[in-house]
Amino acid sequence: MVWISLFGIITLILLARALGFAKAPVLADTAQARRLAAEALPGFTARDAVLARDGIGALVAGSDGQVALVRRFGDRWVVRIVNGAKAQAMGDRLRIVPHETMFPAAELDLGPAAGDWAARL
Amino acid sequence: MSFPDPVQMAVPLFIIAMIIEMFVVRAGARGDYDWRDTGTSLAMGFGNTFAAVIFGATIVGTGVWLAQFRLLDIPATWWSLALCFVAEDFTYYWFHRSAHRVRWFWASHVVHHSSQHYNLSTALRQTWTGFFSLSFAFRLPLFLVGFPPEMILFCAGLNLVYQFFIHTEAVRRLPWGLEYWLNTPSHHRAHHGTNARYLDRNYGGVFIIWDRMFGTFEAERDDEPVRYGIVQNLATFNPAWVAFHEWISIGRDVAAATSWKARAMATFGPPGWRVGTTADSIRADWEASRHAATPAE
Repeated sequence: MVWISLFGIITLILLARALGFAKAPVLADTAQARRLAAEALPGFTARDAVLARDGIGALVAGSDGQVALVRRFGDRWVVRIVNGAKAQAMGDRLRIVPHETMFPAAELDLGPAAGDWAARL
Repeated sequence: MSFPDPVQMAVPLFIIAMIIEMFVVRAGARGDYDWRDTGTSLAMGFGNTFAAVIFGATIVGTGVWLAQFRLLDIPATWWSLALCFVAEDFTYYWFHRSAHRVRWFWASHVVHHSSQHYNLSTALRQTWTGFFSLSFAFRLPLFLVGFPPEMILFCAGLNLVYQFFIHTEAVRRLPWGLEYWLNTPSHHRAHHGTNARYLDRNYGGVFIIWDRMFGTFEAERDDEPVRYGIVQNLATFNPAWVAFHEWISIGRDVAAATSWKARAMATFGPPGWRVGTTADSIRADWEASRHAATPAE
């Protein structure tokens, strides 16, 4: 039964991939980023946001000064408050390393706004 | 009357059903898969079978030992099987409700909710640590009542197999009034939701009547699509982290707590208690905002 299960697992994963269940979504606009942040964070009121130029993530500022990172995860999104996280602006890019275990670092191409947003974290 | 293991028998059926669902979704039916998410779900299910082998004997042994103190000698017949099936589902309701309301039990059960997808593979995203959380204790009264131990295990297996098939978006509503009695794909979709409306609702296994009786029922609404997952969704597909992250979080919260009350609440309080995002508080805030948005008559 173990071998049947293993064979089944591998077959299903390969089949899912072969059928194209491997999307890599991009954010359409800041309104979508704000909506994702508001849905994921209870009590969070999104104010302004900045989108990475390639759409793989965004930063959303709340009315209380908190800043949320919206980050792609598989074919979905994950959101975290990143105030106090390690943030480093490198030209147009902002690298954010949240304190949370197993939460991967995010590198967002924010253009000229990178420095300003780094200062807000 | 002999009782086979329904789960073992259903494994090939599970695989076939998932393959069919993938093709049906690809053909345009409602639903979605992500190969990485599915890989994690199946890895969790695979690990769960090993945990069952390792700890199953202890769990069954506890039940059989308790059976010597049984109140009744219930014979193995069709009527007792039907009764046992309903009684087992009743104990499942209370296990499941506790699994969402008490962090110690949630630490195991969170695994099942940790996918942002809802498909048949999500059904197999099962805990590796159910034994440690003592979730099997909820079923022990059935042994004390006097149902034959093999019958109880058979009913538990049937319950699990039934629940596999409701983890799908491809089926909208069941016909013939079944939505009133049974836990259906629609009711269980709502259960997997993180929307304030759906949070901690619909705990039933096979029958939804328990939720209707005990005030925890919420119907899925077509105008409010379910957002699947947990309040703080995971950002990794790593099965080990999926399995143990809440236990580690409990450990950290207990270590950081400055009073015994805080330690107890971090362990046995509702999930989200430390950060102020329990299901009750999220629902209360949502209710308040709804009332504030509705003009007084």
